Amino acid sequence: MLKWVSVLCAGVLAAALIAGASTLVAAQDAGSIVGEVKFSGTPPAPKVTKVNKDNQVCGDEKRSEEVIVGANKGLQNAVVSLVGAKGPAPKPARKPVLDQKGCVFAPHVLVVPAGADVDILNSDGILHNIHTVSTANPSLNKAQPKFKKVMTEKFDKPETIQLRCDVHSWMAGWLVVQAHPQYALSDASGAFKLDNVPPGKHKVEVWHETLGKMTQEVEVKAGAPSKVTFELGKK
Amino acid sequence: MSWLRSKFAQAVLALVVAFVLFRFAIRPPVPWTVVTLYMAIVLVAVLVYVSSDSDSWRNFLAPIRSTLVEDSKRPVRVGVMVLIPLVVGYYAYTQAAARIEAPAELRAIHPAPPASISFSGKTFDIQGLDNPLRKDAANLGKYVAEGAVIYIKNCVYCHGDNLDGAGPFAHAFSPPPANFTDAGTIAMLQEAYLFWRIAKGGPGLPKESKPWNSVMPAWEDKLSAEDIWKVIMFLYDATGYQPRRWESHAAPAPSQRVGARSGGAFSLAFLAAPLGRVLAPPTEAQQPGDAAQGKVIYEKKCLLCHGEKGDGNGPGAPMLDPKPRDFTKGRYKVRTSASGQPPTDSDLFRVISDGMPGTSMPAWKVISETDRWNLVAYVKSFAGGAFTIAPKAAELPKEVAASKDSIARGKEMFEAIECNKCHGNAGRGDGPSAPELTDDWGNPVRPANLTKPWLFRGGGSSRQVATRLATGLMGTPMPAFIDSVEKPEDIWHVANYVQSLRPSKPDYVTVLQARAVAGGIPDDPAAPFWAQQPPANFSLAGQVIVDPRNFNPSIDGVAVQAVYSDTEIAFHLTWDDPTFSKSDPKAKTFADQMALQFPAKAGKEETERPYVLMGDGSNPVTLLRWTSDEGVGEATAWGIGKITPKLADAVKAVGKAVFADGRYRLVIKRPRATKDHDELAFPVGRFLSVAFMAWDGGAGETESRMSFSSWYFLRLEEPASATPYIVPPVVALLTVALELLVFRGARRGAWGE
Repeated sequence: MLKWVSVLCAGVLAAALIAGASTLVAAQDAGSIVGEVKFSGTPPAPKVTKVNKDNQVCGDEKRSEEVIVGANKGLQNAVVSLVGAKGPAPKPARKPVLDQKGCVFAPHVLVVPAGADVDILNSDGILHNIHTVSTANPSLNKAQPKFKKVMTEKFDKPETIQLRCDVHSWMAGWLVVQAHPQYALSDASGAFKLDNVPPGKHKVEVWHETLGKMTQEVEVKAGAPSKVTFELGKK
Repeated sequence: MSWLRSKFAQAVLALVVAFVLFRFAIRPPVPWTVVTLYMAIVLVAVLVYVSSDSDSWRNFLAPIRSTLVEDSKRPVRVGVMVLIPLVVGYYAYTQAAARIEAPAELRAIHPAPPASISFSGKTFDIQGLDNPLRKDAANLGKYVAEGAVIYIKNCVYCHGDNLDGAGPFAHAFSPPPANFTDAGTIAMLQEAYLFWRIAKGGPGLPKESKPWNSVMPAWEDKLSAEDIWKVIMFLYDATGYQPRRWESHAAPAPSQRVGARSGGAFSLAFLAAPLGRVLAPPTEAQQPGDAAQGKVIYEKKCLLCHGEKGDGNGPGAPMLDPKPRDFTKGRYKVRTSASGQPPTDSDLFRVISDGMPGTSMPAWKVISETDRWNLVAYVKSFAGGAFTIAPKAAELPKEVAASKDSIARGKEMFEAIECNKCHGNAGRGDGPSAPELTDDWGNPVRPANLTKPWLFRGGGSSRQVATRLATGLMGTPMPAFIDSVEKPEDIWHVANYVQSLRPSKPDYVTVLQARAVAGGIPDDPAAPFWAQQPPANFSLAGQVIVDPRNFNPSIDGVAVQAVYSDTEIAFHLTWDDPTFSKSDPKAKTFADQMALQFPAKAGKEETERPYVLMGDGSNPVTLLRWTSDEGVGEATAWGIGKITPKLADAVKAVGKAVFADGRYRLVIKRPRATKDHDELAFPVGRFLSVAFMAWDGGAGETESRMSFSSWYFLRLEEPASATPYIVPPVVALLTVALELLVFRGARRGAWGE
């Protein structure tokens, strides 16, 4: 009997541990990771494409959003995630929105939970086509003419998906379909924050569309933010 | 069957049977002149038969006589007497107003080879020469495999994957490329003979084979002797024929092998074929394929382009555009399944069976149906998990038939959904986004020219176009539109509109007729005058013998209108080119160009034409050309790259080009004759030679990277005359007079009874 109880207890404990990696961790027990992603070296001048169609909507020039470096060499649009985190990503408070405005994808990098509906907007009033280069999810290539203001799409499998619009070859974006809750996107100053991280040693990964991936070990303590800084640069 | 005893009925029956046999039973069809000759012989034989004795002759004449004499047969008599002059008159009309046909070309199909040839400094004695590689029995398989790679990199463009002479460039050439699967080609030749023909090509043919328009290049500078022997071994291995041996047959004298090009063999196949079709209806019903069996076929027929791993990287792939399909992704263009879905088995089967028009993928009907299903199974196995879920079929709205309203709505939708962004305002594939398009593999792709539906990868019917619109072409920039039109049935309206842009493929011709016109000929290519002239269409193919080669020519055809006056000849040329470009080293573009080629010793009836690729050192050509950099000019060429432009005063040609919506229109005019004796001249009523060459500078085409046609005929029509309207009535009247004479003779009993 005791044996069974202990097995049951162990099971409950294990479940709690697994759950602990997810949002179920009580706020006071969880720690957080705050940090910065920095560009190492001299930031490259952004590629400029001359616009040769739809100039009234798209403007005359488009600057590439591949590498955006802000004050203090902060690198924007890097995706930071906790390696091996478990649990489903929470349902977002608002439906994720990917807009096509001024012939760019806004936001340039969108992080969405797996299985969530994503509204794809066409604010431009000209033809765009949303073309995903994906392998885990079905490859999507749908036209969105001027009168099709919203299309709703769902991405079921975790994957980092490249977005393009063949009509406007400079248009590029990324859709990061989350596998778990622990994702953050670096802001204009390169800063990010991962909340509700259970205490302990973790591997944190950063991914950037052109600069690649990097990981670091971080020790997280309950109630206090742990600091981490990534430096990414051209290899 | 008592009527069969009548000699007259027998004679008529014999003539009818003979005619049907000559006309329909001989394949390929014999020319009318030959049928007429045969019929004359049969007629004489029939007359000899019916007049063999006087009873027989009387029996034969009886029905004719009774028709002429007996009162009861008056209506028949009148009918016949009216009908005969009309028929004869009509025949006279067809003869007087006959369309001009290209002169028949009688030539030695397999002329005797020279005793020896020189090949890269060495002398090869053709007579008695054997393939040296066959002595190395241990490596035969290796040589055949290497020969296959040489074939796919050099020969396939004309002679085709199936070795049937129907490669992607074959349509541009007259005579067509050799069909190696035909028992009349390599099966009756020695390997040394093939060696000579491959090494020396069309230019190396002896005089007895002229006029010879063969575009077969001399491969001696491109391939080594060993390469040629290997490719010969591949030809015999792939067709299953045995080369003829020297021991068993001394080479027959060439005169024994001279035959008319259009001559054919009598066969009863025409009777058997329809029967066979009825007995064995095509079963396209889906069959489960066996991937292991498919692998065997794949390695024989598909691997050279699609690669051993199915990744589209076979040895032939670097030359091809569009690239061979990469099967590992499971992503296919032509499907009936919904956007994002893998294709159905039937979709794959259809593409294998029908090929992909406009690409190097041929129709593989030579492979048995079962094996094609086996291939489907094997091809799917490359894509790992992509085919684990059964694909969902795309749902098409109810079909809307083409009508004026549907086409108008289609045009409206075409503009609203901005098809023009890639396909251009007029649909010629010249939209502003066209130059930047790439597929999912990063290869540049060209949007379809919607005015050439016969090149649509998935077929040009309304249903096929509507399906492509609904499902998109996965892996390419073409998106799915099923959810992106105002109403689902708009898919059909757009498809109907696309179909209305060009309903059918143009007929290609071999003779360019120049019409006689009075007065001045307009320079302006857009002048309404030109819309009234009938166009002649010529097909163009890529140049693949001189580096840099052009495996994927941008310009595949040109429509030509020609007119002449007392003093001038003018050519109006129309061709599609997605971009207007000039020489620009920064943008890596070159001038767009078009050229008409004439033998330099022009104006003479053709017996010997220079080699079609700008002639050679001893037999030059004259080019009338236009470039976007310099306008109209003239040049003399002694081979590709050996062009001497004529200087200012010597250039007699003038002209002008306009470019709009992905299409050039060009007028080149020139005096018909000049004082200089050796100059280009255009006399009336002769069969002159002309060929065409084009360069799309925006696609990187320049110098030897070009498209070209084989030699065709140019003929200045005699001015329109009243002959076709005068001769027939005269002939009819003469016939009536003759009838009356016969009638009177019969009445007077001159025919005896």
